[in-house]
Order: sequence, then structure tokens, then C-alpha cells
Amino acid sequence: MAVTPGTETPPPPYLGRSVRIVGPVANVDMNQTPHPRNSRGELGKALFNWYRNTISRDPLTRVSAPNHFADQRNFLASVVNQAPKGKINSSQVAVSDPAAMTRHIKAVAHHMGADVVTVARAHPSFLYAATAPPKDSAARDVYQNRSGDVYQGRTPEQMVQRYPYIIVATTAWDYDKLQAHRHYIGDAAYHVSQMKAQLILKALEGYIRELGYAALRGMSNPQAAGLASGVGELGRNGLLIHRKFGARIHMPDAIMTDLPLVPDRPVDNGVEDFCKICRKCAINCPTNSVPFGDKVVFNGVEKYKINWLTCYKVRPYMDAHWGSCLTCATVCPFTKPNVWWRSLTVWALSACPIPARPLLVRALKAIDDRFWGTTRQSRVRWLGYDSGIKPGEQACTVAGCTAEHGTAHAAEPVGSIGYYAPLKENTNRFVKRDV
Amino acid sequence: MALRSDWLKIPWRRAHARHHDPYWDFFINTPPADRANSVLDVIRKAPEGNVFPTKADLHTPEVTTSHVKEMARYLGTDLVGITTLENDDAGHPFAIVCVVRADDDPHEAPGIGGQVPAQNGLFVTFVLAAWIRELGFRATMAMSPDAPRLAAAAKLGTLDRTGKLVTAEYGTRVHVADVIRTDLPLVPA
Repeated sequence: MAVTPGTETPPPPYLGRSVRIVGPVANVDMNQTPHPRNSRGELGKALFNWYRNTISRDPLTRVSAPNHFADQRNFLASVVNQAPKGKINSSQVAVSDPAAMTRHIKAVAHHMGADVVTVARAHPSFLYAATAPPKDSAARDVYQNRSGDVYQGRTPEQMVQRYPYIIVATTAWDYDKLQAHRHYIGDAAYHVSQMKAQLILKALEGYIRELGYAALRGMSNPQAAGLASGVGELGRNGLLIHRKFGARIHMPDAIMTDLPLVPDRPVDNGVEDFCKICRKCAINCPTNSVPFGDKVVFNGVEKYKINWLTCYKVRPYMDAHWGSCLTCATVCPFTKPNVWWRSLTVWALSACPIPARPLLVRALKAIDDRFWGTTRQSRVRWLGYDSGIKPGEQACTVAGCTAEHGTAHAAEPVGSIGYYAPLKENTNRFVKRDV
Repeated sequence: MALRSDWLKIPWRRAHARHHDPYWDFFINTPPADRANSVLDVIRKAPEGNVFPTKADLHTPEVTTSHVKEMARYLGTDLVGITTLENDDAGHPFAIVCVVRADDDPHEAPGIGGQVPAQNGLFVTFVLAAWIRELGFRATMAMSPDAPRLAAAAKLGTLDRTGKLVTAEYGTRVHVADVIRTDLPLVPA
């Protein structure tokens, strides 16, 4: 069969040490990913009702989490993402030096508040398959605004030729609030920074159009673009692990563009060596969805593969306590405040010769277990929320509050232990480990 | 955490990099050819959501005030203050004023970059107003010409001769975000 020039598949991209493309990769159909499947009711009643028909009891969750609002107009991300797209500026800004433009786009995203900005060279395997978005507007995931951006009859190879770069811009969430994960406090850290990332990406997308270039959303798998551009390495928990923020970064829908840029390279943070030994996320996962074993090949990609269905299935039952679990992100030893001793440690790990790394990793893991604990139990109090109150109990622990509540005031808020629902010992009984 | 390294960062590094950026002036000063490429109109013109029918179990007004301020700071505002309103049209007793740092004044720099302080301010005020509505109280955010006056009344700074807000923390390099008017029980500064 004759191949039209410019449509042959480029060689598989190098994605760093943590992920390897070993076979043909089929483009992922966005409509077959967990949230869209759930919104069509294919994962059972409990999950469907949690996703489509649940109003959160927590006011902050109602304004910040997708699909649990009482009124969608109070949820900024849906306002921003459902807005019509602007036109591409007809007077294009000439780019003589792509390196200067790359520095400029990164400075722009940082100016808007992004924590991480990288540029990936697009590859056909990164793209989602060309499928129509769901007809039912309520079934569209509010974070995937791909309705206007279509392939226009092109193949993935032609798309990559036409739009060769993917800009990954994202935010990290708050470390201190994350310590109360599996609690509304951790949810707030996660969801608010996610909304901020949506706003930044929308503004950046608009700015690229103002420069006179195309900006396509809902096209690229953000994790693949993140790996190729060195946002981080893929950990055992299936999350990108960043040099500065660990696993606490969002991976929202990236921007595919024809703006001339200089792509970044994959990074080596030592995640590959750490994940071989650590297994902290696998031990702490309340549903045992993170593998203890080796990497597997899935869709032509060799990587650690989590069991997304068991990860997903616990959520409807935890609705009264939290919206986002985040256990694997929190317990990851790379998830630390962005301070000098963390920079020093990650630098030491990535500067260490690879054969010597297991020794260093064991030492670092022992330090992490000793000082941060094998599981997170710290108590966080924020805005009247208190992770030191046992799940199911209610009390006001705000110092100096004398208001008449429906619930009692805690006599003396003491202790530093945080409670997270569900407790691991309660889920070990009915979820099997895969060792 | 006591061992932060923020003090090691050189304050002028980023500004220096911008000086050599050939596209920075376009970013700050060229108004968008299509207003739909800016997120400001999208957020400002969005219809307001409903007030949640059940009022939340609030703490005392003093505690609620500190929580509102903490939430505003968490959403990214640099200064936040509360003041009382006299003869408001809708009868809201309080105004929450958020002030964000502004490298460029959004009133003078029409580019998408020049509007970034307004964008940051809108993020804070939209989410904060929506959160108050979900607590079961009325809250409306709107652009208003007397925003600097209300910011001064909320003791965030003083007004200069031209009616611009001058703050102790950031001088005049600030942007007063849209004012939230609310009937949430608060204690004005």
C-alpha cells in the first residue's frame, strides 16, 4: 500500500525511564474513559447516582467539585469551560525565534499563576481518537471541552504535522491541606487549584489565538504530553511525579498548537528507581487498587497500571466524608513542601549513578517512614473543618466560638491525630490485594 | 515549616527576564481582537447562581468573618477587608473587598497580560460569592466605580488625590477586584 507523504507514523517517542512504548498504541477513545462511561450508566447505579444525581452536603464542594453542585452557575469551571471560543487573530505575530517564544509562553503561564509549564512535541499516539462528544450535554465531563475542536477529517498523523506542539500548563495543590486528604479539607486543596488551572488554561488558550495561532483543547492525553515534556515521571500510583511538587499536580486538558516552540525533554527524577522499592501508595490505598507487582504492557505501553474500577467504586460510599481520595498522592515520598531540603534530596537522587540508586532509595524511604510516618495521620483544622473529628461525629472545635449550633462544642480540642474515612482496616476485609 | 528558602530568591530576576522578552509588550498592552479570547467577559456576564435553600450552621459573626477572609486569601487575594454599606439598592448590609497585587494596572493595560490582575480578582470574587450563596446567604459581585472608596473604608489603604487606592503593603500597584455585597452576618473592620 502506497503511503501518502507526510502521513507515515513517526517513531515512538522517548518518554523517560518510567514508561516505554513497546507496541502499537491505539488512540484512546475519550468516550470510553471512566467518567464518560459512568455518566452513561455503564458502571452501575451506585456510581451513576453519585456522579449525576448527588448534591454534596458540603458548601465548598458544591462550588468547587464537578457534578456535585446544587446550581451549576455557582461552579466557575463550568462557566469558563462552556464559554464560546474566540476567533484566531487574523494578523499573526511573526515568530522569528521559537526559543524566545517558548520562554515567553512559559512566562505568560507563570504570570497567570501556573506552577508548571512545559512544551511537548506531539505524537499521534498521544491524541484521543476522533469521536463525537456525547449528545446529552449533561453527560459531558465539564473538564473536557472538546466540542468545538474536531479533527476536521484529518488522521492523527496529519494532526501532529499540522499542530506539532502541546503546551502543558498546570497548578499544584496545597501541601498542608493535603495532609487532611480523604476529608473535605483535602478536597478543597484539590478542587480549588483545579478550577484555577482551568481558568489559566482558558486564558492561555485565548492568548495563543490572539497571537494568531490555533489552540486546540480536548485533543491530547495530558499524561503522555506531560511525560514527553518532562513534567515528571509516571509513578506506581499512576500519577505524574514532579520534581518540585511530587504527585500533587493536576493534569488538566493540555493545549495543542501550531505556535512555533521548542519542545522540552523527558526528565529523570529517580521516580523509576524509587517506585521499584517503595510501594507506600500500594500499601496505603484504601481499595488496594495500586499494584504491588511489576509493570505491565497495556495498549502497547509498558507502565504501572492501577485498577481504575476499584479505585472508582469506593467513591459513592464516601460521599458524606469526601469527594477525592488522594491517598496515593499524599503518601508518596516525593510529595513534600517545595523547600530546599526537598530540592537537595531530589537532586542527589537524580545525580546518583543508576546502579547505586537502590541503596540511596532505601535510605530515603527509611527517613520518610521515620519522620513522615508510614501512613499520614496529621490533624488539620481549616475554616471550621477539623480532620481530628472521627468520621460520623460532629462537633464545633473553633476556638472562641460561642454560637448556638445543632451540634455540641467540643469541650477541649486535643490531640494531633487525623481521622480519614474509610480507615484502611475497614476496607481490607472486602477488597482483595492483587499480590 | 520553618525551613523555607523564599528569602533566597532574587526579587528582580523575573522582571529582568521580561525586559528581554520581545513579546511581553504585546501581551500586556495589545487589546484582544476578539473579546471572547479573554475570560473576563465570560465570568462577568455569567448569570448568578441560586442561593442554597438551607442556611448553613454558622459560627459567631467574628469567626465567620475570619473564615471569609481566610477563604479569600486561600483563593489568591492579597488583601481582604469588610465594610458596611449604607443605602444599598438590594439592602445588603456588608461589602467584602478583595485587593490583588497588580504588576500592571488593568485600567491602563488592555492586553490579556495587563488584565491578569482583574482575572485573578474575578477568580477570587466569583468563587467567594458562590460559596456564600451555597452557605445560604445572598451575595452579589459587581464592578463598581466606588470600589477603591469601599476598600479604603475597609481599612485596606487610603485614597490618593486621583481616587486610587494606596496600600501599606504594595503601594499603588494593586487592583481592587469586584465588590461582593452580601447579607452574611459579618463584623466590619
